[in-house]
Amino acid sequence: MLILRVVYALVWALLSVSPKTHVFHFNLTYVDADADGTFSRRMIGINNQWPLPTIRVKKNDRIQIHFTNLLETKASLHFHGLFQQGTNAMDGPEMVTQCPVAPGSTFLYDFKVTKQAGTYWYHSHSGSQYADGLRGILIVEDTEQDYHFHFDEEVVLSVGEHYHQESSEVLSKFMSRYNPTGAEPIPQNSLFNETKNVTWHVEPGKTYLLRIVNMGLFTSQYLSIEDHTFTIVEADGVFVEPQEVDSLYIAVAQRYSVLVKSKKSTKKNYRFLNIIDQEMLDVLPADLQVISTNWMVYNDDVEMPSPLENNDKSFENQLAKMHPFDDFYLVPLGKEALLPDADVVITLDFTMDVLGDGVTYASFNGVSYVPPKVPTLYSVVSSGKYANNQQVYGSNTNTFVIQNNEVVDIVLNNMDPGKHPFHLHGHTFQVISRSPEGMDEEDPIKFDPNNSSHTNYPEYPMIRDTVQVHPNGFFVLRFKADNPGVWFFHCHVDWHLEQGLAITFVEAPFEIQKQKIIPNHYDNCKSSNVSTIGNAAGNYGETKESWLNLQGENVQVAPLPAGFTTKGYVAMILCTLVAVYGVWSIYKYGMEDVNSEDTEAVIRKLYDILRTNGALEPEYDDGDEELLIAS
Amino acid sequence: MVNVFNVQIFFIVFRESLEAVVVVSVLLAFLKQGLGQATQDPVVYKKLVRQVWIGAISGVVVCLIIGCAFIGAFYSLGNDVWSKSEDIWEGVFCIIATVLISLMGLAMLRINKMKEKWRIKLARALTKTPSNKKDRFKIGYLTKKYCMFILPFITCLREGLEAVVFVGGVGLSSPATAFPIPVITGLIAGIAVGTLLYYSGSTVSLQIFLIISTGILYLIAAGLFSRGIWYFENHLFSVQTGGDASENGSGPGTYDIAKSVWHVNCCNPETDNGWDVFNALLGWQNSATYGSVISYNIYWLVIIAVILLMLFEEKHGHLPFLKNLTLVQLNPMYHLKGKKKNNLTSAEKEELFDKVKNTNFGEDSEHEPLTEIRKEISDVEKVSN
Repeated sequence: MLILRVVYALVWALLSVSPKTHVFHFNLTYVDADADGTFSRRMIGINNQWPLPTIRVKKNDRIQIHFTNLLETKASLHFHGLFQQGTNAMDGPEMVTQCPVAPGSTFLYDFKVTKQAGTYWYHSHSGSQYADGLRGILIVEDTEQDYHFHFDEEVVLSVGEHYHQESSEVLSKFMSRYNPTGAEPIPQNSLFNETKNVTWHVEPGKTYLLRIVNMGLFTSQYLSIEDHTFTIVEADGVFVEPQEVDSLYIAVAQRYSVLVKSKKSTKKNYRFLNIIDQEMLDVLPADLQVISTNWMVYNDDVEMPSPLENNDKSFENQLAKMHPFDDFYLVPLGKEALLPDADVVITLDFTMDVLGDGVTYASFNGVSYVPPKVPTLYSVVSSGKYANNQQVYGSNTNTFVIQNNEVVDIVLNNMDPGKHPFHLHGHTFQVISRSPEGMDEEDPIKFDPNNSSHTNYPEYPMIRDTVQVHPNGFFVLRFKADNPGVWFFHCHVDWHLEQGLAITFVEAPFEIQKQKIIPNHYDNCKSSNVSTIGNAAGNYGETKESWLNLQGENVQVAPLPAGFTTKGYVAMILCTLVAVYGVWSIYKYGMEDVNSEDTEAVIRKLYDILRTNGALEPEYDDGDEELLIAS
Repeated sequence: MVNVFNVQIFFIVFRESLEAVVVVSVLLAFLKQGLGQATQDPVVYKKLVRQVWIGAISGVVVCLIIGCAFIGAFYSLGNDVWSKSEDIWEGVFCIIATVLISLMGLAMLRINKMKEKWRIKLARALTKTPSNKKDRFKIGYLTKKYCMFILPFITCLREGLEAVVFVGGVGLSSPATAFPIPVITGLIAGIAVGTLLYYSGSTVSLQIFLIISTGILYLIAAGLFSRGIWYFENHLFSVQTGGDASENGSGPGTYDIAKSVWHVNCCNPETDNGWDVFNALLGWQNSATYGSVISYNIYWLVIIAVILLMLFEEKHGHLPFLKNLTLVQLNPMYHLKGKKKNNLTSAEKEELFDKVKNTNFGEDSEHEPLTEIRKEISDVEKVSN
């Protein structure tokens, strides 16, 4: 008996620590929901539910998701922040690591979560689709070590924005020649846990761990609980030395875990504010709730503080009361030292330009990302020995090939007066330098390797996977290419991603070729009519030339004509000819009148001539009566 | 430059003052030909001539005063409205200006027709007898005595007020500083041309001058029309983009690429110096649209067509293919005002002018015997010689 019990105990112990496989069947369906209490609209739900479920796994667990698309449009799923070590094909971005999942198809995501623990999330990576609701939280609990902090209860919280229109409509209005300044579409509301006016009941004297995710696609948000502080313990899956702050600034796709200590007394209830960063909005609609009030409730019987007002000055006033912490100065708990000097430095100058169709596009070094005809991962896999050649991946995909275990620096110069959160798939990176906001739009602050204030890198730099660059400023990121795969690096403001603000890393292409891609993925490509063999233009063959032949690839829109085109010259010449003919007709018409000369003048002239030649008597002088009578 | 000299105003004032001078010259010509037996009595003649001049000048002066007051008041009161310069208003003003200028422009090339028209009009006015016998004594007496003052005064006043209205319609999109110079230069030019016309008749050089000025006038009008259409398209784009895209300068994104025929980032008539003159004279836009280019061509084609029709009518007496139609019959005002019955044959015209010669005024009936006496004296003297 005892042995049996011991065996049971052992088996149970083994099972609880051995990695589990979580199997999910996600059927994408439309769900009608009224997220902000003012407008019911169609959202994308899973298994007829919206908001989407929170996935909770332990480190080293395996996740299997049977992703069936029952919508009218294509879809995909990306697990934000997960390394996908060895399973690059499961990362999710359309045309980068997979084909879009066509309506009716099922796609299998099957991967292990290794080498990381913390707060993550999952969302659609097809256009701006996750604005329609395809987003949820993913928590990876650490089994290898205890948390370096104590908490009584865990609370999961998401913030985001909400649009009343479907994202495809919003996108078409945004990317149109009638939006020449490229002003991002303003959301109708902000959400707190996918709803509004939330009350969070707390018990006194407890420590709560808040896992906060910004699941929005545009605006960063400020979070603050009146009379309470946050202690930051995790950022983007990286545990940090605890940092106490009075408010939190969280950009889209970023995550923070914070500790909130509830008060000992239950006399009051407090406001829990989530505030849209108004500076990111080009226009401020009068009815937009910039400051949203939720409540931390100690006592239901006590009065709730009234919601904060939203007027012209409210954002400024509230901002003055908050002192969010600069995430650059967070110190990772593991105290990873600054990586050695970079083997590769990739400099990206980011600009926004109006191209030939009158639409504003975002470019890195003048190149705006345009998806290739074959997903980049499949180009890597099918190109064999040519996989190391950057040209295979197209001229308009901003692809950089990096070698295994190289140290890479990304220098990003933001020549746009906007705030942009950039995210790298497959890695966390060290944020080794970040400039303050550049105040001169004409002369943004660019990274200068000779400027010591730009290059005094911290000893233990902040590590995360999504970081915001300041307007007209720069940042420098450093990471080690120790995860072979095709990794997307892009601005997480989805509107900008659609405008082409992305680059692709092909990291260790020959190592990538060793990874297996399951047949289900290739089948999925057939159903969406996308080729799985070939370079970015879909060309392939036996020779190197055929692999480097990019004829037919997708390219960005041509630039605006720089002056007169043929059309202009023709128009100008035509106008000139018509005007000349017109003036000539006037001349002709005018000259006609001269023929019908004034008879009086002619006669008078005749008389003058006759008089001077003495053939006539002198003319009557008007005042000379004598002459009249005398003759 | 466009802010101190509005070309449309110049041409309107020029044309109206030319017409006023023509009126004066016709009256003076009547007097010379013996109107009211003025040739017989030099004192009367002088008096009548003076009356004509005083009448004309006072008419013009009153007009100028009214005009200045009207425009001044309008600008001081309604300044904000126009300085907003919304594209729609600008477009409407341009189209109005084009229409006004186009209608009056071609008439300048037929100065003789203008003179003829005034001769008939004035002759009618002079020979019209009041129907009621009783009225003859009261107003008739005064009007008869001073009719050579009243006639030019009223005519000039009426023409002048017409000019003020036109100038108002055409010039209100300009700042107030653009009014004085063209008005003054227009007056001077009109008077100069009219005087030349009086003394030397319709000469070739005068006609060339009129042709050149009309040519420039129509170039300006074509440019205005194109500009009006451009303003409408600009307004449409502003509404579609929810802002004022053209206020952002001349770079990319300030215009609708789908409607653009050409675009250069410089030489914007709204913002760059010197190019606004080019725009005023020829309708130049740095960002031309299909609308502005096509409207420019259409305007000219219409003008050319009208000119060809007018030329045809002058040669053949009617419009092509329509034996009984003349251009003036196409004007709806013609039928409304009942001007059909105003057409006189040449015999009727002769009769009218003879009647003018025999009309007595400037003196009351008491003085009539004086002329009879003078006639008798001269007859007697003739006989005695």
